[in-house]
Amino acid sequence: MTDTKPDKRAKNEIIKENSRLLRGGIADGLSNAVTGAIEEDDTQLLKFHGSYMQDDRDVRGERAKKKLEKAFSFMIRLRIPGGVVSPKQWIALDDIASTYANHTLRLTTRATFQYHGIIKSNLKRSMQAINAACLDTIAACGDVNRNVMSAANPFLSKAHGTAYDLAKNISDHLLPKTGAYHEIWLDGEKKIPKPASAAAENEPLYGPHYLPRKFKIVIAVPPDNDVDIFAHDAGFIAVVEKGEVVGWNVTVGGGMGMTHGETDTFPRTADVLGFCTTEQAVEVGEKIMTVQRDWGNRELRKNARLKYTMERVGVATYRAEVEKRLGYKLGPARPFKFNYTGDRIGWHETTDGKAADKKWHLTLYVENGRIKDLPGSTHRESYREIAELGICDFVLTSNQNLILANIAAKNKSKIEDILKKHGVSIATSSGLRRNAMACVALPTCGLALAESERFLPDLITSLEDVLDAAGLKNDDIMLRMTGCPNGCARPYLAEIGFVGRNPGLYNLYLGAAHDGTRLSKLYAQDVGRDKIIALLTPILKRYAKDRKTGEHFGDFVIRAGIVKATPAGNKFHDDVKLAG
Amino acid sequence: MLGRARPGAKDVADKGQSGRVCVKVYTGTPNPAELQFLETRVATLPTLPKNAPFTAEDVDYLNRLVQRSTPLQRSWLSGFLAGLDAAAGQTLGLPSTAPAAASRPRTPLTIIYGSESGNAESLAMKAKKAASKLNFDAKIIDMADADPSVLAKAKNLIVYISTWGEGDPPQRAVDFYNGLMGDGAPKLNGVRFAVLALGDTAYVNFCQTGKLIDERLAALGGVRAADRMDLDLDFAKAAAAWTDKTLGVFTPADTGPSATVVHVDFKGAALNDDADPDEPLYTAENPVEAEIAALINLNGTGSTRETWHVELAVDAPGFTYKPGDAIGVLPENDPALAADLTQAVGLGSDASLTLKISKSFDITTLSRATIDQYAKLTGRKDVAALLDGDALAKFSADRQLVDLFKAYPENLSADQLTKLLRPLPGRLYSVASSLKAHEGEAHLLVGAVRWASHGRKRGGVASTFFADRRKQGDTARIYVKPNKHYALPADGKTPIIMIGAGTGVAPYRGFIEEREANADKGKSWLFFGERNFSNDFLYQLEWQDWMASGALSNIDVAFSRDQPEKIYVQQRLWERRAELLSWIADGAHIYVCGDEKGMAKDVDATLVKILAESAKGDLEAGKVKLKELTKANRYQRDVY
Ligand code: SRM
Ligand SMILES: Cc1cc2nc3c(=O)[nH]c(=O)nc-3n(C[C@H](O)[C@H](O)[C@H](O)COP(=O)(O)OP(=O)(O)OC[C@H]3O[C@@H](n4cnc5c(N)ncnc54)[C@H](O)[C@@H]3O)c2cc1C
Ligand SMILES: Cc1cc2nc3c(=O)[nH]c(=O)nc-3n(C[C@H](O)[C@H](O)[C@H](O)COP(=O)(O)O)c2cc1C
Ligand code: SF4
Repeated sequence: MTDTKPDKRAKNEIIKENSRLLRGGIADGLSNAVTGAIEEDDTQLLKFHGSYMQDDRDVRGERAKKKLEKAFSFMIRLRIPGGVVSPKQWIALDDIASTYANHTLRLTTRATFQYHGIIKSNLKRSMQAINAACLDTIAACGDVNRNVMSAANPFLSKAHGTAYDLAKNISDHLLPKTGAYHEIWLDGEKKIPKPASAAAENEPLYGPHYLPRKFKIVIAVPPDNDVDIFAHDAGFIAVVEKGEVVGWNVTVGGGMGMTHGETDTFPRTADVLGFCTTEQAVEVGEKIMTVQRDWGNRELRKNARLKYTMERVGVATYRAEVEKRLGYKLGPARPFKFNYTGDRIGWHETTDGKAADKKWHLTLYVENGRIKDLPGSTHRESYREIAELGICDFVLTSNQNLILANIAAKNKSKIEDILKKHGVSIATSSGLRRNAMACVALPTCGLALAESERFLPDLITSLEDVLDAAGLKNDDIMLRMTGCPNGCARPYLAEIGFVGRNPGLYNLYLGAAHDGTRLSKLYAQDVGRDKIIALLTPILKRYAKDRKTGEHFGDFVIRAGIVKATPAGNKFHDDVKLAG
Repeated sequence: MLGRARPGAKDVADKGQSGRVCVKVYTGTPNPAELQFLETRVATLPTLPKNAPFTAEDVDYLNRLVQRSTPLQRSWLSGFLAGLDAAAGQTLGLPSTAPAAASRPRTPLTIIYGSESGNAESLAMKAKKAASKLNFDAKIIDMADADPSVLAKAKNLIVYISTWGEGDPPQRAVDFYNGLMGDGAPKLNGVRFAVLALGDTAYVNFCQTGKLIDERLAALGGVRAADRMDLDLDFAKAAAAWTDKTLGVFTPADTGPSATVVHVDFKGAALNDDADPDEPLYTAENPVEAEIAALINLNGTGSTRETWHVELAVDAPGFTYKPGDAIGVLPENDPALAADLTQAVGLGSDASLTLKISKSFDITTLSRATIDQYAKLTGRKDVAALLDGDALAKFSADRQLVDLFKAYPENLSADQLTKLLRPLPGRLYSVASSLKAHEGEAHLLVGAVRWASHGRKRGGVASTFFADRRKQGDTARIYVKPNKHYALPADGKTPIIMIGAGTGVAPYRGFIEEREANADKGKSWLFFGERNFSNDFLYQLEWQDWMASGALSNIDVAFSRDQPEKIYVQQRLWERRAELLSWIADGAHIYVCGDEKGMAKDVDATLVKILAESAKGDLEAGKVKLKELTKANRYQRDVY
């Protein structure tokens, strides 16, 4: 990397290179008591440790006048491959929320927890508390393989269990090996005395520059596509025969993020690369990642995700390189069929195994994944109370929802009573709400252009009147909102997608497939609440009237010519016809 | 400068007592204010004959002077003139005239004071000046540097003493006080003494220390020459009169009209002691109007605190202060409360009355004195009963005057009401700025005092005066309260350790601004404590800039409510004790400012612990070391 020609590499590449394997000046930054922030460069490194520096954007305006710096705080994201925590762990995590964070737990669109509002002086304590609960945050963010998601509820069937195991194995296998994490947060012995070079310690899989960009792997078990398999850099689709996983269809090149007004950035649905066995899967995941490590764009971060590498080299070339590194060929993809990207809210019984071993699982809708007590609905307390009984496990879903799993039949009513007591209802007010997700956005997200989590619930309430009138109250329609085009709630794979442009104004996307196989299309630009209702009302009415049996909203708007279909990511910006 | 008319005239009287200024008196023409003032006093004593060897104007002038002079002043003046000729002798080329009277020994007088915020001290200083002009051989002693045994040597003794804490002596007088009260106290047989006690009727133990010292002096054999006077916050006039009277009492009987030769040192000090350096120009009696140039609550939204940064712009000659001084504010009450009060006593909401009492009377403080007067006025037994035992403490703990009127309603006349009220005392605020950084400005850091009790929202008078009833551009009447015992080291190279919680950080902003302006090289270390980092880090951006520029060398913060366990500044002190000790070894001055109960006590204890550890001794050893630092002015406290 250090040759004479001008260094065109992205700034982050140099930060990583000089970071002594992700140490940088984080430790010093933590001990500087006069500021709640850490150095700019270190914020980039901190992500690899599972934390983001943020500031409360609601109060930005007043701070300087009050002679105060921005209200800095830190977000912590956990790494929980497969998304399962024990009741004991739940209690520990709930305690951390009250002791160090903003008294909320946030279930993410990638089936883990986030804390918000942790001030610098509590960051290390929080990390230690998390680790004390036998959980960690390593590589939950940053240019590495992120938390690996698997089809929600490993306890639902044997196949789901296998998917969970694979998620764990891949996540552990692809973990960075630097000692920085233990050194900084857990007072582990200093692996590298500063300012020595990183050579002493090494990152066999990543090297000192890690990946060009974030890298995400998920594992699906058809017919459910709750993990949105096509939205991620890599994926494994379970091929199940007689209840056993016989192998995996491998997907590569998905991603959501784009930038307003830059058509060379776009969301992309993943391609199917081929088939591999369970024994091969971890290695296949590794090779897919290392090819991206070596081929990904390290000069332009906007263009550094695998999806763009894929656009550049094509599936065939990428597959060939992966197979070369594997030393064997991938099998031909097996047929698969998805039908739904949402969660199935309510009670479900284990689908296979001996009747005696069957357990019950309750999938609860958690609005925007925000676990926060509200007057009349103290769901955070209810989960806590349930955890203290120790009669179920907790499973996080990729749709920001929560599953109380492994419940003995005799305990079902106990659970229901506690939920009722806390005003938590299992049923949701509408199919639209049941399938809705909003990203965090304001006030913590530094990239938000508009509200999301704090706005969507009201918008849905307004839309529910329309649904009522149209008689669509209970139809499953996928609706997702994000505060900016990065797509954290996968809005481009929603039948109705909102993406923030400016405060109060959103781009409206329609026409994604209910099963997550097709991206949506821009339908209206910069629309506010009223315009949104005005635009959607007639369309929903028509859908109610003219839909074919079983026809999903996303397919209908295409058949009805309201938007053109988006066959592939690189066509996302084509054929756009904006509504008047 | 209209308010200066009286002091201006007073100058003539005072200055008339020193050689040089006498000359001024004869030649100078009085300013109109003086004349107008003097007019009012003419024609009570026989006047100089028209044929006296002076110009008509001078005769007229001398008359005015004589008319308004006190017997003491006249006896002094005649003695002075005699002394003048005696000293000048023939050289004046006049037929020598014998002195009017023979020179006599001056009367010994010991003036001793115990003071925290300087009131008793400045009264003592004034007394000393007056005394030395009245042929006393007066020496002045600060209890802080003395041992009770000095009292035994005294013949005539005047004590100025304030009360602090909850009836305690001023910090720096504690040792002296304990010595005096203890068995080791000296016998004071024949010592003639008089005690002036300063206090605040708002406190249950009003003038406690003064009372006890007065009793003790008598018990030790002293002879009470004048009755003790207990003064409230509006002490200035009464104190001056008491001092005059008491000096009179101590003046040997045969002085008075028959003159005593005054020994005037024409070359020396007596010549130029007219201007009083430790008397600020703007006082509670003579405040200056300031414009509120900025008024900002420094606490972030969501904070449990409310701390106002107040920038006062003063466009008046001679307005000056030092970092470490305090600014006095003459607040106004909440008009709504004033109206409640008049309602409660059956006066309806008489606009002019409510305006009057909200501007100039203390309508919140529920003191023993007020209850006592109210009981007498109304003849109510149940009110009088409040004065028995701890009833008062119980009742007044979280109540105010309005509660008394509501609980024991009676109709009062406007006159009866105002007679019940004491003048509204000023409030002191440590100045948070340096004139070198903000010319003509004084910045304050005011913590809003708010609480609710007995179904009533209540607020501190001065703090809510700023927080609720003033906005940028409005004015406030302020004065300067110098604090000799809380100031930067003379040497800019001396390291300073600044310890403060909450508003206690105020003076340190002034310190650093001053040192930055002087380009002083001395190291500085701030220990700051508050509740929450994100919203309560007062002046955070400024400390950051000063850390970056080097104007501030070290900073340690303690935010008590950011984590499960409470963390206070004293814990940071303990953690950093090794480095602290090395700073102290380098001659650092230690400053503590802020809440006494909430912080200063614990900081004191921790410093003792740290010094004890370094002395490898017990707490006693630590206490001794801290005392040494105090005596060397290297441990200074500004607590309230
Ligand atoms: C919490 C979460 C949204 C939620 O409401 O649940 C989230 C929140 C953030 N995402 Fe995201 N992303 C989250 C899932 C996603 C997803 C969905 C997914 O992966 O299934 C995507 C789209 C898929 C993809 O990666 O393309 C996503 C694409 C982004 C991007 C755009 C990346 C790109 O290459 O286009 C950014 C911005 C960036 O990385 O520069 C981003 C950045 C962020 C940051 C960290 C903002 C930042 O970089 O400063 C947001 C933190 C906000 C906050 O205050 O918490 N987030 N982010 C999700 C956490 C997932 C997890 O547990 O790891
Ligand atoms: C030398 C010195 C320096 C000072 N510097 C500063 C400074 O820099 N900043 C600053 O903010 N203050 C400072 N103070 C304190 C300041 O002078 C005032 O005392 C303070 O602002 C309160 O004044 P106030 O008129 O608002 O309240 P007041 O009207 O005087 O009311 C205060 C009284 O209300 C009562 N009270 C208050 N809270 C409660 C409660 N919870 N329950 C029941 N009764 C209650 C108590 O009797 C208390 O004495 C300083 C004081 C001194 C002596
Ligand atoms: C924190 C504090 C506590 C006080 N406690 C008492 C007290 O208990 N009794 C009293 O009569 N006066 C009390 N006072 C009032 C002072 O005695 C009064 O302000 C006096 O003028 C101070 O004089 P000094 O500056 O010489 O110390 C207190 C004042 C403060 C600021
Ligand atoms: S989509 Fe944009 S606004 Fe929403 S969380 Fe992600 S980065 Fe923030």
